[in-house]
Parts: sequence; C-alpha cells; structure tokens
Amino acid sequence: MILGYLGAGALLAGLVMAGFSALLSFWAGWRETDVFIQVGRRAFYAAAAMTALAAVLLEVALLTHDFSLAYVAEHTDLSTPMPLVAAGFYGGQEGSLLYWTLILGVLGSASLVASARIGARVAAYAAGILAAILSFFLFVLAVVASPFDLLSITPPDGLGLNPVLRDGGMLIHPPVVLAGFASFAIPFAFACAALLAGRADAAWIRHTRRFALLAWSLQSAGLLLGMWWAYHVLGWGGYWSWDPVENVALMPWLATTAYLHSSQVQERRGRLRAWSFGLVILAFLLVVFGTFVVRSGVVPSVHTFAISDIGPWFFAFLFACIVFSGALLAFRAGNLGGRVDPAPAVSREGAFVLQNLLLIGVIAVVLWGTVLPLVSGMVGAERVVGGPYYERAAGPILVVILALMAVGPLLPWRHAGRPVVRALRLPAATTCVVLLGLLVAGVRAAPALLAFPLAAAAAATVVTEYGRAVFKNPRSILRRRRRYGAYLAHLGLLVAVAGIAASHFGQQEKDVTLRPGGQVTVAGYTLTYTGSDQRQLQDHTDFIAGMRFGDQTLEPSRATYAGLGGQALTHVAITTTPTADVYVVLAAANSDGSATFRVLVNPLVTWIWAGGFVLILGVALGNLGQREGAPELARRRVPVTLPV
Amino acid sequence: MSAALRWGLPVLVVAACVGYLIYSASGAAGEYYLTVSQLRAHGPAGDVRVAGVVQNDVEKSENGLHVTFTEKDGTASMPVEYTGTLPDIFQPGITVVAEGQLGGDGVFHARTLLAKCPSRFSTKPYTS
Repeated sequence: MILGYLGAGALLAGLVMAGFSALLSFWAGWRETDVFIQVGRRAFYAAAAMTALAAVLLEVALLTHDFSLAYVAEHTDLSTPMPLVAAGFYGGQEGSLLYWTLILGVLGSASLVASARIGARVAAYAAGILAAILSFFLFVLAVVASPFDLLSITPPDGLGLNPVLRDGGMLIHPPVVLAGFASFAIPFAFACAALLAGRADAAWIRHTRRFALLAWSLQSAGLLLGMWWAYHVLGWGGYWSWDPVENVALMPWLATTAYLHSSQVQERRGRLRAWSFGLVILAFLLVVFGTFVVRSGVVPSVHTFAISDIGPWFFAFLFACIVFSGALLAFRAGNLGGRVDPAPAVSREGAFVLQNLLLIGVIAVVLWGTVLPLVSGMVGAERVVGGPYYERAAGPILVVILALMAVGPLLPWRHAGRPVVRALRLPAATTCVVLLGLLVAGVRAAPALLAFPLAAAAAATVVTEYGRAVFKNPRSILRRRRRYGAYLAHLGLLVAVAGIAASHFGQQEKDVTLRPGGQVTVAGYTLTYTGSDQRQLQDHTDFIAGMRFGDQTLEPSRATYAGLGGQALTHVAITTTPTADVYVVLAAANSDGSATFRVLVNPLVTWIWAGGFVLILGVALGNLGQREGAPELARRRVPVTLPV
Repeated sequence: MSAALRWGLPVLVVAACVGYLIYSASGAAGEYYLTVSQLRAHGPAGDVRVAGVVQNDVEKSENGLHVTFTEKDGTASMPVEYTGTLPDIFQPGITVVAEGQLGGDGVFHARTLLAKCPSRFSTKPYTS
C-alpha cells in the first residue's frame, strides 16, 4: 500500500522537475545564461532520478507480491517463477511505459553529460527537448495510466503473467525493444536542437550520430530477438508476420539505417545535412506513431495492448511532435550550411542518395500497409493486407537495394571513372555464376533468381574491398575500421538475407497423425514417434511427445496452465542441421494414444541469427573507441545564426 | 540540368515507382476486414477476414486438425470450418479472425485462423 503512495509521489515529483527543466532550458538556451543552463540540465537529472526511484518501488512491489497494487495483481501471481515476476515490470501497459521513461531518463542524462563539452546553447536546447519528452511520459504515467493505482480490496493472489510470456525470451526481448524505442528520442533531441540553434558543426553531427548508432544497435538487437522468440516460442514455423506491432518496430530501424548512410555524406562531403537530420526526426516520429498505433488499438493486430485511455494523449503528442519538427525543418533547414547542390549521379554520394530514397520507399510501403485498415475504414469498408502485399510491394525495392549494395561501395566519392567498370567485374561474374547454378539446380521462382545472385554479388563486393586492403595495406583495416566495420555489417546482412530468402522460398511442411512407432518424412528428414509422457511442474502440466531423429530425440510438448482456465501453450522442438531446421509442433494428443504433429523443414534459418549478429557486431566494432578526425570539409565551422 | 531538376528527377522517379508498387499490391493483395454481420449484409467476393466470437459448439475431429464452430457478433452468426493447427488460446468465448471465403453452402471456409488476445500482456482485468 505504502509503495503505491510513494511511487505515485515519485512520478509527480519527476513530472514537476521535468517540466521545470524543459521551460528553464529553453529560456536559458535562448538567453545563453550559463548558470540557468546548468540548473536546467540538473533538473533533468533530478527528474530521471525520480523516474528511477519509481521504477525501483514498482520492482519492490512486484517482488514482495504487494497485491494491493492493481498492476502487481494483474500481471503476476504467487506461482509465477521469480525471474518472471521481476519481468512483470515491463510486462504490462503501465509498467512498460515506466520502463521506457526510465531508459529515456538514463540515456538522456548520459547524452547531456557528454554534450556539456560541445556547446552551451545547443546543449541547452537538447536538454529542453528531452525534458519536454520526459514530461509527456511522466504526465501519462502520473495521471492517465499509473502503475501505482491501488485496489480497494487486496486480493489473496494475482492473475499471473500470460503463459505465452512465461519464457526465458521474456527476460531479454521486451527490455531491448523498449530500450531501442526509447533511445530514438536522444538523436531526435540533438538533431532538433541543432536545427533550432541553426548550427551543426562536425562535433555536433558526430554526437547525434553516436546516439543514433546506439538506438540503431538496440533496435536491431530487439528486432532480431523478437524474430528469434517468435520462431522458437510461438510455434507457427515463421519469424515475421507483418503484424502492425512488428511493422512499427521495423520502420524507425529503416529510417535510422538510411540516416547512418546519409550521415557519411554529411560528415565527409558536407552535403545532406538537413536531410540527415530529417531522417533522425522521421525515425522518432515513427516511434511515436508506432506507440500510438500499438497501444491504442486503432488498427487490428493479433497482439496489442489492452485498449486504454492513453491513445488520445499519444495522438496529441504525435501531432505536437510533427508540428514542432516539421516547422523546424521548414524554417531552419536552410540555416545548417553545407553544400546543397546536387551530388554527381554516378558516385558514392549518388549511391547513398538513391539508397536513402529506396529505404524511404520501403518505409512508405510498410506504413501504408499498417494504416490501410484505418484509412479504408474512414472512407468505406475496412481493408487489410497481409504478407503477399508486403512481398509484392517491398520485394522489388529490396532487390534494387541488394544491387546497390553490390555497386555502391565500389564507387569513389565525387566522380566515378573508368576503373569502376573494372572493379565491377567480380560482382558481375558472381551474379552470373550463382544465377546459372540456380537455374541448373531447377530453381524457377523469379524472386529467388534475383535475390540469391544479387546477394552473392554484394558479398563479392565486400570480399573485393577486404581483399584489396589485405594485399595493399592490412593495417588500414584497423585504422579505418569504421569503413571495414560497415563492410562486415553488409556481409552479415547479406548472410541474413540469404537465410530469409532460403527459408521463405524453401519451407516444406506436413501435418501428420502418428501412433507410437509411426514415421514421417519431410524434405528427406525422417522422424519416428516413440511415445508420450506427462510431467507436473510448478505452474503447469506438460504433455511431452518423443520424436526420434537420427540419434537424438526431439520433445515437442503442450503445457496446460490450470490456474489460467486450462490455457494451453505449445512448446516447439527444433533441431538444426547444417542446411535446415527441423521444426516439430505437437498439435494434439488424441485419446487412442496417437498424436498429431506439424513438421516443418526451414532451410538456413540459422543464417538469419548468425548474419544478424555479424551485422550488429560489424557496426559495433567499426564505431567503438572511434576517434577518427573528421575530414576537412566537415571540420569547417558553420556560422552561428541566432534563433528568431 | 538545373539543380532543382537533378534533385527532383530521381525523387520523382522513385516516388512514382513506389507509388505504383503500393497501388498495385494493395489492390491485388488487399482483403476486406469485416464483422460477421457485415459479411452477412454484403459479402464481397474473394478472400475476406471476419472477426467474431467463438461459440460453445466447437467440434474437433479425432486428430484435432479439423474443427467446426460458430462465429458470432452482436447480431449475426455463421458456421466456420477450418483445417490446420489451432492457436493455443483457441476456446469458446475468445475473439478469432478467420481468413477465407464464404462458400455457397453458407459455411465459411477458413484458410487461416488467428486468435485475438484480449490483451497481449494481461489475462483479464480485475474489477474492483
């Protein structure tokens, strides 16, 4: 009970501090009053500390089973294992908002500490923007959806966590995804502050980029873990279903991927400054939009949060963010300096511009598919799209992006000359060889005939670049590690693309009912049903079927949760061979002793996890401990213009 | 070529291509999302998705893969027939989204069956 009062108090105190910090920082930044800039920044730290206190109090309430709090009673019970009780913190609407706000406070504070050295005025504006965002979240938490609401009667036990979430993945995936979402606010604040102050020198651009990289890495890991979790836990045999929840996590990632490329041009050539900041802003707007969509239930999704009152507030916040950043871009983009004349078409810059346009095209496809039910519902009958829409609309764009990955890295900055044609011979030859190989192997699907050869060509480009460095000057790989880290990231992505294409075009499945001793063969893999077993665990009963595969036994099972109205949960059994995953789902256990299985063979799925890991690793290795001096053009200071 | 043209032309070309892709794909792959009563009132030809509540008459075949039940909303109901793995939380009383076609026999032949969780993150709200 007391925890509820303390927590609500901490949130209110945080809200007051954050609001104070926002107003003071803007005013002090405008007047360039150093003392008040300091005070505003410290008020932000205080608000972050209050958020952290509220988070600790909620966690204490969860771990001590304080069911007087509605949130604790609705998301945990006495039989839930302790690590999952702790994970209940971010397992529900209110708690996950608090977690999000906590990450915003922590990362925001870290970014402000680091920015104090860079420039007082812009840092003050950044603090003001971060504080304004923090105020909004603390307002929602304190007033609209508080995790500290009390129940009038304390129940003896809680309702428990949904069984689907009672999994080890619950301890990793949601915190990473939510942290990823929250972290997009940091580069947004720094980009907007630069626009507001009308200046962006090299240090400032690098600062924004550093936090965009952090957001991108967290979001990449979150997406990958989400796919891994869906594949291993949900048991439908795939890892991506184009559900709105997945789409809204993908879109900011795409926008930030575009930014990480355009920021190369921003830093090295002094071009695309406002454009790059526009991408950072777009990523954050997509985050806010996605949060609104997912948490308000405006579009049909198989997994959304409970319909709640926060929808209108998030809509208002989204609207305010669009107006604020739109006005900034419209009135201030011209003040950032840098070159605005068009880049030469056939050059590294040109390739980056085209890649940016294509990624925005993919975002447009995903965005339209996500909002179509909403838009069509307003003008007539509600329409929805599924996987086929995304494949038909985004597929061709992704193929062009693959081709660009093969060509772009070989183009020099400024102008491409004759040597480029020679450099393109290896990727071109690779394309032809792989294409011929596929045709000989009997592949006739056009998308597969485009995806595999182009991915191989792009991989050949990476190998070319590494090979050239190894023969000419091996130490340059370490010295220019940002560049070679990026190539490693490309290679990782291409491995993942091969895995996605192979599992998409090559999946085979069979539904089968077997008696003990019965056999099933799918895509050359034979499984034998050996019999079943029943086990009683802490909060559920497991029905386990044995499937012999070679010298190992797979154990697909069905868990039944008595405490939750007998809700069932399927546990998939997966075994990985060098070329494919054998994926067995126990669909039903029948009264005559037979069992019904769904057996899938998914080629190269492990390539997706391995490739995704290399993608993130490449970016991390390339940017950690990076002190690379900015090239001459970016180092030139842009004149300071006073805001009106 | 003027600067505006050199910026504008690639943007326009890419935008036109993306626009065409979106237009053609959403026309070809879009489906109507209806409630049972909307489907009863004006059933469009082709695949649709129908949301409704599973009634208390679920019948499963011996191997559990073939299932028939009635899907109902406020005013209308329809029989549904489906073959395949059922969602874990499938049981009478939950909302499902069936994707498929209404046959001439008045039975809805579902190709996929999605269970709509009342909430992803909580079982059911306490009423205190």
